[in-house]
Amino acid sequence: MKILVQISVVFGICFLGEGLARILPLPGSVISMILLLILLLSRAVKPEHIREKSDFLLKNMAFFFVPAGVAIMDTFDVLARNLLPFLAVCFISTLVTFAATVFTVRGILWLQRLIHAKSHPSSGKGAVSRV
Amino acid sequence: MSEWLSSPLFGITLSILAYVFGVWINKKLRSPLANPLLIAIILVILFLKLTRIPLSSYQVGGDFIGMFLAPATACLAVSIYNQFALLKKNLLPILAGSAVGSAASMGSVWFLCRIFRLDDQFTASLLPKSVTTPIAMGVAEQLGGLTSITVAAVVITGILGAMLAPLLLKLFRVKDPVAAGLAIGACSHAMGTAKALEIGEVEGAMSSIAIGVCGLITVVFAMFIH
Repeated sequence: MKILVQISVVFGICFLGEGLARILPLPGSVISMILLLILLLSRAVKPEHIREKSDFLLKNMAFFFVPAGVAIMDTFDVLARNLLPFLAVCFISTLVTFAATVFTVRGILWLQRLIHAKSHPSSGKGAVSRV
Repeated sequence: MSEWLSSPLFGITLSILAYVFGVWINKKLRSPLANPLLIAIILVILFLKLTRIPLSSYQVGGDFIGMFLAPATACLAVSIYNQFALLKKNLLPILAGSAVGSAASMGSVWFLCRIFRLDDQFTASLLPKSVTTPIAMGVAEQLGGLTSITVAAVVITGILGAMLAPLLLKLFRVKDPVAAGLAIGACSHAMGTAKALEIGEVEGAMSSIAIGVCGLITVVFAMFIH
């Protein structure tokens, strides 16, 4: 019974999200995610209301993509024709993304430390960096 | 025979068996190359090819599994919610890092696709490849890409990210756990996050925050491209 209620909460939010996707230029699943986050933050939905259901979905997330991946059978020639560029794009853009994120975060943390040190000279540096 | 095989139970059972086998192999080998999703996809394709069962029969059950994608994506909100205190504390580095990371990912993919002369449909399928699969699929669909190619690109990117993460951290001399976690999550979503969790708790939490934030930022960028 408990699990049935949890399924209805999650599915209900997703159904609402799909309805909103007809008006908003966002994927329905993303709208549902934002809706659920708002409901959680406003405490309209408590994590324990959907715990078992969300644990089940999150822990087995990868499984739900099996059919989407198998569908590549139909477009396999498109991928095979472009296999090398495909792998090169995946590899190079992974490096670029990693480097861009690291340098941005490092720069911001450095700036925050600098500003913090200026406004609180006594507390010294490094106060912001540790979590 | 074909009527019997187009029961949804066939596709569902085959998918679960293939995935469970993939998880088992992954536990045995403990290598990011032995990705359960990748193993399951290859096994199902091999099975269908060998038995000459048409993809459409498998998809009857496959569509049923696919129905759970939206609820699974929505539940990413629960993991963002669980990390909310950490998110508030490092709001600026997270937002800036995720925005620049997502822009770098989409920009470099677009640029490389132009260099390799890939067509628009293929480019649209690859553009969202650094974000988590459900969001990437939604974005690719919106941009007119082929979602099955997107899934392949997301999985390959995730495997690369998880494999390369320790090496990249050394290469760029990343010592700050916030920067390390965000970078891993920004370039290789959930598969990278699994690796980040092995490196440290803050790294793992930051990486899982990056999955959600980069996903949302990529959706916003895609809206402008669209």
